[in-house]
This record gives sequence, C-alpha cells and structure tokens, in this order.
Amino acid sequence: MKRYLFIVSRPPYGSSFAAEQLEAALVAAAFDGDVAILLRDDGVWGLQHHQSAEAIQQPTLTKTLSGLPTYEIERLFVCARSLESRGIEPDQTLGFEAIGYAEQQALISSSDVVIGGQR
Amino acid sequence: MIYALAVHGAPYSSNAAEHALGFADALLARGHQIERVFFFHEGVYQGLNGTVPPQTRYNVNLAQRWQSLRSGGTELAVCIASGIKRGVVDENEQERYDLPSHTLSNMFELVGLGQLISAIAAADRYVEFPA
Repeated sequence: MKRYLFIVSRPPYGSSFAAEQLEAALVAAAFDGDVAILLRDDGVWGLQHHQSAEAIQQPTLTKTLSGLPTYEIERLFVCARSLESRGIEPDQTLGFEAIGYAEQQALISSSDVVIGGQR
Repeated sequence: MIYALAVHGAPYSSNAAEHALGFADALLARGHQIERVFFFHEGVYQGLNGTVPPQTRYNVNLAQRWQSLRSGGTELAVCIASGIKRGVVDENEQERYDLPSHTLSNMFELVGLGQLISAIAAADRYVEFPA
C-alpha cells in the first residue's frame, strides 16, 4: 500500500482545481491507499469559516473537506505560515492540523507519492 | 524504472505538454518505461481530435508527438470526469449524452480517476506537469 500525499495549493473557488484534486484523493482512498492531505498557499482558503458557494452556484468545498474522515482520510494538514500570512482563523471543526515547514518537509519525505506538489 | 506521468495543461496555451513530451523522450532514451500518461484538469484538451497547431518557427505538432508516444506502447488516458464536462467525449459518451459529435482523438481513451491511481500505484515514479 502506497502512502499518498495530495497537496492543494489553489483556492477553493475560481477554478475547479481544488475540487478535482480532492476528488482524486477520494479515489486514492477508495483504492485502499493511505492518503494525507496538505493545504497550502491559497489552498488554505478552504478552511475559512462561513462559506456558502451556493451564491456562485458551486458546491461548497468545506462540505467535501468535512466528509474526508468518512473516506478514511484522517491525516489532514494545513500550512501554518500560509494561514498566518492571510490572516485566516481556520475552522477547527474540519480537523486540519496546522504545521510548519519542517513538519511539511517530513510529511513529504515520508510519502511515497506527492500529487499536486507544484502550483 | 516504470514511470507514470500526468499532464494538467491545455495544448498551445500551457507548456505542460511540451515539458511532458520532452521528459518522456529523455526517459525512453535512457531505457525507462512509461506505462501511462494521465490527462487531468485542463490537460484533457490534449485529447481533442481537431487541434490545429499554430504556425510558429518551431512548428510543434503536439498531436503527432502524442501519437509517436502512443505507438511506443504508452497509454494516453483522459480523465472522464474532467473530460466530458469540457466536451472531450468518445463515441460512447456522445451516445450517452446525445451529443452532435465525438471529439476524442482515437489514440486517447477516456478512463476514470481510478486509472490515475492504479498507474501511480504500479509505477516506481510519478511525475506531473502542471498547467
């Protein structure tokens, strides 16, 4: 079984990238992979409180994020620096752990495959 | 080694395809194998059957280059979810959604995201080329 790390570095709305990336993560988990997710750069906007994408006729990404543990995706991380530089207080109920660069480096090197590593 | 590649950018706007094809040539020249190239996000447009390359001094014809990779045994797999919403459809999907024509080049195939994961799982290395 491979250890997958999916990195989401694009914002939740404005393009379908983040949603499609999470879709791939769900499929990897369904294939019995050990899946971790790291939100960084503008990907951290996914943890902003009070999102309602119905206003732009899109699915709300926080709903996908909150459903991850039911697909056995439980290793959920967010870049602390990216949150801080954007002034975001993350929605704690989503269960993402804020980590620094050293821990991200360890997370990447302990994964067999990194998907979406580049912007 | 066995490689799986992914392309995320559209032809002649992003350079993802040029980079992926250059990398693929280098891999094959060194004796590596490329099981599958997976086209995801806007990379699905690489699979269109009617692209006309722009006239530039370099005359890059991406479709021809994908064809030669395909002839060497590499599967060219277009993500079905990303593809059909952008109008990249094969004959089956044309029929299913009652569309006026199919648009997928016959060297490509429409597959589920599971094929991306299984290619990665079977490969020694996975390299992606973002938009």
